[in-house]
Amino acid sequence: MGRRLIVTAIAGAGVAVVAGALLFVSGEQGSQAARSAPRMPAREDPLTGQEVAQATAIASAGSRSHLAAGRIKLLYVERDDDKDTSDRRRADAYLYDYGSDRLIVRTVDLGRGTVVRETTARGVQPPPSKEEETTAAGLLLAHPGYGKVAREAYTRAGGGQLGSAADLGLRGLIFTPSGEKGPARQCEVHRCLRLFVRLPDGTWLDTSRLVVDLSAKKIHTLEW
Amino acid sequence: MFLRLALSCALLAGTLTAPRTAPAQAAPIPPLPSPGASSGAPAETTAAQPGTAPCNAPYRIDKTLPNGARWQLCWEMRNVEGLTLTRVVYTPRNQRPIAVLRSTSLAQIHVPYDRGRPRYHDIGSLGYTAIPLRAADCPLGERREQFVCVTTRARGHAYLKSVPDQPNLTAQGRDLVVFAAFQVGWYTYLAEWAFSDDGAITPRVGATGSLAGFTTTPEHGWPIGVGDDRFEASHTHNIFWRLDFDVAGRADDVVEQYDFSGSGTANRRLERTTFSTEAKAVSRPMRWWRVVDRKVRNADGHRVSWEINNSDSAQYRGPADEAFTRADLYVTDYRSCERLASVNPTPQCAKSVDRYTNGERLTDPVLWVNVGYHHVPRDEDADPMPSHWQGFRITPRDVTAKNPY
Repeated sequence: MGRRLIVTAIAGAGVAVVAGALLFVSGEQGSQAARSAPRMPAREDPLTGQEVAQATAIASAGSRSHLAAGRIKLLYVERDDDKDTSDRRRADAYLYDYGSDRLIVRTVDLGRGTVVRETTARGVQPPPSKEEETTAAGLLLAHPGYGKVAREAYTRAGGGQLGSAADLGLRGLIFTPSGEKGPARQCEVHRCLRLFVRLPDGTWLDTSRLVVDLSAKKIHTLEW
Repeated sequence: MFLRLALSCALLAGTLTAPRTAPAQAAPIPPLPSPGASSGAPAETTAAQPGTAPCNAPYRIDKTLPNGARWQLCWEMRNVEGLTLTRVVYTPRNQRPIAVLRSTSLAQIHVPYDRGRPRYHDIGSLGYTAIPLRAADCPLGERREQFVCVTTRARGHAYLKSVPDQPNLTAQGRDLVVFAAFQVGWYTYLAEWAFSDDGAITPRVGATGSLAGFTTTPEHGWPIGVGDDRFEASHTHNIFWRLDFDVAGRADDVVEQYDFSGSGTANRRLERTTFSTEAKAVSRPMRWWRVVDRKVRNADGHRVSWEINNSDSAQYRGPADEAFTRADLYVTDYRSCERLASVNPTPQCAKSVDRYTNGERLTDPVLWVNVGYHHVPRDEDADPMPSHWQGFRITPRDVTAKNPY
């Protein structure tokens, strides 16, 4: 489905851009990064916070204007554990281009400070980032019907008046069409989420028929 | 400045395929040599010394159980797969270490409801959903970075044998247990690996937390709560594990399937099938598989191997567009971008494990085990829902020449 692979070498994109690109580091990424005191990581250790920042900076360098404009989103950085290159510390930065509905994965060699591989594809969807979950909840709350239902449920659950999507307990999963008819079929290519919404009393909003289409900025209702 | 080099697919295939050792004839080797000695892979050492171990504290687990069996491994909480264990090495008592797994993690939790909808792929950003564990969640154990529990627990009798006029020969077994908990919607998933003092590994997942609360029609659910008005929806959890076995190193691993023909007669005949190319297999009551190293032998001259038994699955089979549900075991050749059994998140590989299995010659096998559990709700599942477990067994076959105790 429109796949291509480009090997990209970025000359000189190194630590100098780390500070600037920290702007794009997800606040949640730190929860997965190694938390121990700074030291030389062993080859199977998780990425350190510094390595995540470095990989983010290097992987973002070629997309700064699109990132700043919000067209491309950095989802997260994952340690590259390819055993063919296990002697190298490498990181995979997952970016999504909403302008072309295309996933971009840039592999950064942390020792060399360069992108050593870029792969892209349409219709391939990695799990959502925290920011995307919040964006999806924002679309849900902005929907005239479902937004009202969600706000009323929040109040009934003892949460008072709902301020914003960030006040909800959220979890998103990628929605993959499986025989659906109607607009949800667009999710073959669009980036679509199922959203779990936890209310203040620990119960969950019934969102089983809802799909948030982040690409189209719409809510699809599944029929069955 | 960018220098972009677009490579042809042919060149790509070349760059993604590592040079591999050609198959060789098995040859007797002294008992349990250092894993690297016969494989060319880096040798695992018994010492977890700084600078030599593949990971540092707190990601290093190194546990010697009461019978002298030792397990060494690394853990990582990955964004997508959640808890991932790497570089798993087993050292039987008074023996030399042997590498078992290069890595293992969950590869999907597929949850289709009996009515046909909804259908979830529950591996989202699993690492983000890890639940901070409290002391009570990790009994007698040690919490690593809040999310991972490393503990040990009794596993009952290792053996018991009567001896005339003497005390019974008896021993209690013990497991090293590594687990993390993940909140995925209303469910809490407990992802656990138990490493036993006899060399066995038991991956399993417990589903707890809350039922979805979906109501349905009587043929698709079960009445829970007071009366017969509210039918909670039945569903299946199809859980996939990815296991990159590197028995005694990366080279020379082969996967065999064992069947025993003769049902309905008095005889059973052993039948061995060796997978030379990528394969899909379904479970049968007496069928099992093993990953065997062609070169490394135990003190009896038998090839060392780990056996996989997956006979407890509900064997859910989905529609044509969920073909990944149609086998219980997949054997694929190693590719780093083949990470999940469905909704695979990497561009250069296919989307699901059934598509990975496309006839390539096996040089470095990766196993994908699919275990289904069909959950028909019951009154006892009231909140908080008691855990229901599903998993499978990996047992050593001819790793030691004698009882490992």
